[in-house]
Amino acid sequence: MSDERLISKKEVLEELGISYGQLYRWKRKGLIPEAWFIRQSTFTGQETFFPRDKIIGRIQRIKEMKENLPLDELAELITTQVNEKLEVAFSRLRNLGWLDDQVAEACHLHADRATERETVPVSEALCVGVLCRLEKAASKEEMGLAKQTLDRATAAGLVDQIRQEKLQFYLLRKRLAAAGISAQISLAVIAQEGARFDPEIEVVQAIDLQGLLETIRFDLVNGRKPGDGAKSDESKEES
Amino acid sequence: MSEDRNSASISGAGVINGGTYTRISISGAGKVTGDVTAEELRISGAGKVLGRAEATQITASGSAVFANDVIAEEMRVSGSARVEGRAKVKELKCSGTFKASGSISSEYIKTTGDLRVGGDVEAEIFKATGGFRIEGLLSADRVEIHIGGRCHAKEIGGERIQVARGGWKEKGILLDGLIKLFTGGGNAELVTQQIEGDEISLEDTTAEVVRGTRIDIGPGCHIARVEYSESLHVDADAVVKEKVKV
Repeated sequence: MSDERLISKKEVLEELGISYGQLYRWKRKGLIPEAWFIRQSTFTGQETFFPRDKIIGRIQRIKEMKENLPLDELAELITTQVNEKLEVAFSRLRNLGWLDDQVAEACHLHADRATERETVPVSEALCVGVLCRLEKAASKEEMGLAKQTLDRATAAGLVDQIRQEKLQFYLLRKRLAAAGISAQISLAVIAQEGARFDPEIEVVQAIDLQGLLETIRFDLVNGRKPGDGAKSDESKEES
Repeated sequence: MSEDRNSASISGAGVINGGTYTRISISGAGKVTGDVTAEELRISGAGKVLGRAEATQITASGSAVFANDVIAEEMRVSGSARVEGRAKVKELKCSGTFKASGSISSEYIKTTGDLRVGGDVEAEIFKATGGFRIEGLLSADRVEIHIGGRCHAKEIGGERIQVARGGWKEKGILLDGLIKLFTGGGNAELVTQQIEGDEISLEDTTAEVVRGTRIDIGPGCHIARVEYSESLHVDADAVVKEKVKV
């Protein structure tokens, strides 16, 4: 695995102010993936560690969202697999700040459509998510390159693949200079996390696609259940 | 396959095809050959389900074998039942012998008999007064164990974990001896590697590590290391090698 920073279970409980009961409950409900529980031997015996950034992000999310959503419903949403058929509302993407005019243009989404209550498939939302992250650093041509790459990958089942593999989207540049002429080539690549490139390649941007897909999924949730009204017997569960 | 909702009953020896039924009853020796869905599945003889079994209520008072997954709202085992797949049972009550090769996920488990699980056990409430052997993690909001035989789980985790001496121990050496005889001669105690919870109280428990917020270590315990964050009480008749406040 990659050299992710780890955090011990004790530290998780302390830093995030949660109890053993909550942690075990969330694990049971599938809110925290089994794979994040990493057993390691320490001088005090076996201890459990987690990938630091992931667990902190996830628990903060759970804590925020359980205010508005019963735990079981939350669990259902997290464990339900995102599939191609899921749709994301335009307005949600816009609210996230993902969809400005430039991104809309690069994605061939017309800005006027964005005002309506229309939806796009998950794959397209993913594309929007990637492009809005590239926007600052990338040229117009590179945006187009990214879009083409994502379209091709989507046609070959990208969304399914992201669920199983840690894929990253890389925007790369390489400068070539010889005999007073210099040129730059740009590459859009979808590869496993931790892919290595030759030292002359500049990684302009690396985007975690799994994380992005998760954001989209969580946003679907928020879009579906605005505000309260969903508080049930959960407060009892969550003493 | 078949859409008719009928009932099937075997009282001699027989075979039932998989499908959807209202009620299946096996009181002789019977076999269900495929995946089955039923409102009620009752096995009081010797029954075997080769496919996946999904039922509102399953009663096993004879000897039942499920070669695949079991999904039920309620399952009562007073004879013996063996599940070779995963068991997803909302309410599991076992007064006989229940064996699962995989994991059990449930909301409420009550066992007064013998429970043997090859994987994890997950529940909101887990109550045991018999013996059990869980090869994986026992995880529940509330774990209540009254030791009545050899109890073993690789790990235990949850909110409130209470382990108490079984009623037998107080009733004298003779009964205790008898229990030992029936339970394979071993000591009636709980053995586990690790217990983690917010409120933990233990008796007759042997563990490597106990971690928690408020911990009460009662008589008969042998704990290598206790890590607590709020309070710790250790009985005079317990051995705790290392105590750490975290």
